[in-house]
Amino acid sequence: MADQYRIAQPKDYYRQFLEKDVRPDNRGLGEYRATVMNIGCVSTAEGSSLVKIGNTTVMCGIKAEVAEPGVDGKNGYLVPNVELSPLCSANFRPGPPGELAQVLSQNMADLIADSQCVKLENLCVCPGKLVWVLHIDLVCLDYDGNLMDACTLAMMSALKSTSLPVVTVDEESGEIKTDPSSRTLLPVSCCPVSTTLIVFDNKLLLVDPTSEEESLATGAVTVVTEGKNVCSIYKPGGTPLTDKQIRDCIERGFIRGKEARSLIEETLCSVDR
Amino acid sequence: MPTDTRRISGPEISHSPYDYCLTPPIDLIGADKKRLDGRLPAQLRPLFLRAGVISQARGSGYIEVDQTKVICAVYGPREVLRREDFSLKGQLTCDFKFTTFSCRLRRQHQQDNQEKDLSVQLLEALEPAVCLQKYPKSQINIYVTVLQNDGSALSAAIICASLALASAGIEMYDLVLASSVAMRDALTIVDPTEREEEAVLNKTHKAELNAGSMTVAFLPSINQVSAISSDGEILCETLTKSMRLCVENCLKLYPVLQQALVKHRLDKQADTS
Amino acid sequence: MTDVDLSEAEKTFILHSMQDNFREDGRGCEDFRHMEVETGLISNTNGSARVRLASTDILVGVKVQLVPVDPNKPNVGRIEFFLDCSANATPAFEGRGGEGLASEITAMLTRAYSCPSAIDYPSLCVLPGQQCWLLYIDVLLLECGGNLFDAVSIAVKSALFNLRIPNVTMTKDEGGIELDVSDDPFDFKRLDVAGAPIIVTVNKIGHFHVVDASEKEEVCSLARLMLGITEKGTVTAMKKEGSGSLDTDSISEMIESAKKVGVELNKCLLNILMTEEGQEVKPVGFLR
Repeated sequence: MADQYRIAQPKDYYRQFLEKDVRPDNRGLGEYRATVMNIGCVSTAEGSSLVKIGNTTVMCGIKAEVAEPGVDGKNGYLVPNVELSPLCSANFRPGPPGELAQVLSQNMADLIADSQCVKLENLCVCPGKLVWVLHIDLVCLDYDGNLMDACTLAMMSALKSTSLPVVTVDEESGEIKTDPSSRTLLPVSCCPVSTTLIVFDNKLLLVDPTSEEESLATGAVTVVTEGKNVCSIYKPGGTPLTDKQIRDCIERGFIRGKEARSLIEETLCSVDR
Repeated sequence: MPTDTRRISGPEISHSPYDYCLTPPIDLIGADKKRLDGRLPAQLRPLFLRAGVISQARGSGYIEVDQTKVICAVYGPREVLRREDFSLKGQLTCDFKFTTFSCRLRRQHQQDNQEKDLSVQLLEALEPAVCLQKYPKSQINIYVTVLQNDGSALSAAIICASLALASAGIEMYDLVLASSVAMRDALTIVDPTEREEEAVLNKTHKAELNAGSMTVAFLPSINQVSAISSDGEILCETLTKSMRLCVENCLKLYPVLQQALVKHRLDKQADTS
Repeated sequence: MTDVDLSEAEKTFILHSMQDNFREDGRGCEDFRHMEVETGLISNTNGSARVRLASTDILVGVKVQLVPVDPNKPNVGRIEFFLDCSANATPAFEGRGGEGLASEITAMLTRAYSCPSAIDYPSLCVLPGQQCWLLYIDVLLLECGGNLFDAVSIAVKSALFNLRIPNVTMTKDEGGIELDVSDDPFDFKRLDVAGAPIIVTVNKIGHFHVVDASEKEEVCSLARLMLGITEKGTVTAMKKEGSGSLDTDSISEMIESAKKVGVELNKCLLNILMTEEGQEVKPVGFLR
């Protein structure tokens, strides 16, 4: 009976729960789903991670290649792409990336550029001759909402675990040599964490939405924090929010940021590199 | 290749750093009659199988054969999108994809010819097992993603997909098992790793007549081979011998697949009660 | 393949006559239909061939081009297949209709030719580590009359036999080597195709294994095995096609029968190609 009610009148169903300050999956309004992380799970990639927030699963693999630098001569390339394959949800079909995937990819690129977590000049192998290209590919394996947070978490943890083989360029002949046996860690200066909230019925804020909650939302906010600073706030339309609500979101962002960063550190420590 | 405007693109030309170092050719078998990873020629790798890993899919499976990791989702039976595709027999579609970071060299986002070929081979292996006449006017979609390829990816994908189909409750004549072998001269090794596969196919001296790999998909309870494919130059006698060896190995895996399926059913029952 | 609608009665007829060891056109199980092979038809390619197998009609043109070598394989040349299903063959190929079949055939050809002994790949390398020949093999499917894979592979092998690769002279220049491709049409080298495979498709119809199935027979067959067979009787690629399954014993029988047919076919083809060249027959082309 409850299941049918849920399908026929999802909003009413949710309202009855939310009146009592609880969500249908037993969470409080500001509570995250259990977050699980695994680092270094794909040995063919230079850096990799798997992040699960509840059911939502995202795998990130970083593949390093070398290329000639652009006009500035020393900046490397970071190329993040999010792949929402038809594997992860019935809503996606095979073919080129859809709108959501494109938005997420751009969000990831902005996140790296805004936070400067990996400096492009650190990706230089030999000035004017050779730089690193890091292809950061995020594959969604199970889509149950809040992909943004899962993607940032997966990307940052994969970047932090990335190690590159030593590549040298001969000064005179220009010959490139790779020594796969010795590796260096990629310098990552900071670790931005995103926190996504949705607005329900134009007033209530729910943290870490599931895909069902996302479909009922009247608006969404993503706050990206780094340490004690706010990196960016992304609010694509929807319900206008009051000053207090925005402050509330930022507050939640800091709490989540702290949790997530300690999770990354713990996982990195437990995996011997 | 046409430029992809829907993805973030890196520099036009980039090379893998591993192009600039020598990978020494490997011996398939050492002096101690053991392979590079310490296995005997006829020894299979340990296997991990699990059903129900993707919450959004009707059925799903995950397989790990040592370093080879494959995930699969089954959606449907669902409506046929195009009217002209209507038929009284159900349709099965397979989509085989390597993630960009799954191999030693980076792969592209778009499906390449090898992946298209593997999709067809996967379909050939599964189609004889599914009772398609029970699903008129509908289609069943199988999506397979290889997260990491360390050899025998096709046979892992077939096992995984057949588990996913069964866990989705799709009616089948039997579960599909698969197994691969690689051969060179008189030596036959089962369940080859990626380096072994490559060593067999990239033989340099022409004198050898017998070098190649083979994959067989088998339906144990009706004692039928649903797909068979080989690469490389092989003598007919070796081919027949290897086929029988593959079938034997498939039978060894049968209980593993059955147990994974039973475990999935029990878990599901425990969840609902 | 193409749409041939057979009623149940027609299917039963083919199956039953198969049991009495009769095929619809009176052939035995291991007999091919009448085949015509012609080479050197298209003057603006480096090699070409046309094969007509009963009503299956295939045209193949090979163009060569100098390209940088693959860094992973610096000492060999490369080949690339492209197949076009002409809408002339059947209306089903209109638009993108033939793409699936085209990619299946190219995949099978690529696999069959991927073994190093198929053709002399090192001879296609012009300058080790730098330049090699890339053979663009373009296949045009003009008419479908069953057994496409086999016919295409025969046409490809004939076109490669006919291939004339211009000789290249190298001159050492300051700062590098200059390559000069000869434009004299009689200054060329040939490619050794003795090891090139031919695809043999063995269809299982009822309890029988037949080669070179006609379109009608293909409709009756639920499972078929395709094998790339060389002159020496080795198998360079194999795959199963069709919605049915096979038991192990019939697979080994099918392999044996494909080997027998394949070896014979390779020999005959090479003989015909040699005689055709010796006789300097004027090509008849499409006007027969």
